[in-house]
Amino acid sequence: MTALVVGLTFAVLLLGVLVAGLLRSHAEILRSLHELGAGREDTAPRGPVDVPFEVRSGVVGPGSSMGIAAPDLVGVTPSEEAVLVSMSTRGSDTLLAFLSSGCLTCFTFWDAFAPGRDLGLPADTRLVVVTKGREMESQSAIRDLASPGVPVVMSTQAWDDYGVPGSPYFVHVDGAAGRVAGEGSATAWEQVVRLVREATEDRALTLRQTGDDEDRGDGAHREARADRELLRAGITPGHDSLYPGGDVPGQEEERH
Amino acid sequence: MKVRGHGMAVDAPPGWEVRIRRRLPESGEPEARPRPVLHAATIALPEVRGDFGGNVTGLMTQDDVFVSLFEYEPSAAATPLFASHKRPVPTPQDFSPAGLQRSIAGQSGRQYFFQESGRAFCLYVVLGSHARRAVLVRAVRAVLDSLELSAGADS
Repeated sequence: MTALVVGLTFAVLLLGVLVAGLLRSHAEILRSLHELGAGREDTAPRGPVDVPFEVRSGVVGPGSSMGIAAPDLVGVTPSEEAVLVSMSTRGSDTLLAFLSSGCLTCFTFWDAFAPGRDLGLPADTRLVVVTKGREMESQSAIRDLASPGVPVVMSTQAWDDYGVPGSPYFVHVDGAAGRVAGEGSATAWEQVVRLVREATEDRALTLRQTGDDEDRGDGAHREARADRELLRAGITPGHDSLYPGGDVPGQEEERH
Repeated sequence: MKVRGHGMAVDAPPGWEVRIRRRLPESGEPEARPRPVLHAATIALPEVRGDFGGNVTGLMTQDDVFVSLFEYEPSAAATPLFASHKRPVPTPQDFSPAGLQRSIAGQSGRQYFFQESGRAFCLYVVLGSHARRAVLVRAVRAVLDSLELSAGADS
């Protein structure tokens, strides 16, 4: 009998503690709602109340891939195609658009790539959309968003390789040099196109002004000619054959 | 860089693009399952491509090559066309402008039929220049040497 009384007393005490905890938690929730102005009208604070609220800015900050040897992309397309996209194919620059299915600003770009729309890029520049891999991105959502004429590669490795700080983000690869020529974010496709066109025209102008096509036999032109010949042979910057010892100088510094 | 998919894998040198996809059966093949096709080229591969280089070979310069490895239904392996069990090793002598599916001036092509692990394949190679076939075949061989075909397309 005594044991029963002790047991019941202990149970009542335990329940009392639990109820007190619940009441306290409830009171804290009510107080928070009251501070947000969601309480009863007669108890709500008068006038506006400052509530801490933060959003990320629409444009992500700069990355760190400028000037690096542009890594090729390996991944899958939203339709299960295994894919290797080269950044050093002959005669074509590549604009990489790093997008996701979740960011609101990205929808502006998915819309801009819709079939039938003129992308407005220079003739020798192709667009490749890069999303994160299937382990981090919805394949079905990307398949719905993707435009049939624009290649989409799902590859988390590519985001790491190019040090992409967030989406949307764009990387312009100079196909002849196999290097990153420019990078940054934007909120409208027209901004991206304008920057790519300006960069492409500036480069063409510089080549004409320096007469780069004409080999004057000095050191700079010899080096440029050697670079062109190596690229034609498929030997891009950082190629293993250039470093028989296996140590590629500066590779670590370039990536980080 | 290695690309793997649908029971095929290839390690492509820099400057090459590769796609491995499943080709949907045509309307005349109601019982057929989607079969893999591998495309590799030294140019940027367009999104819309024919199995044997439609939309691709017209973009090639004399320095470029295109490779298509097309898998047929397993039942095709029992036919005389796919009797060879040896994986083809292209040589410059194999190539001819008459070997092209779609004739383009200056280009050269060749088709090889073979089977491996019960899978029936057609290897189709297009060279951007018949005159430079010795150099271009070497580039093709560098890719084909790395080709891996597993026993099943689903692996």
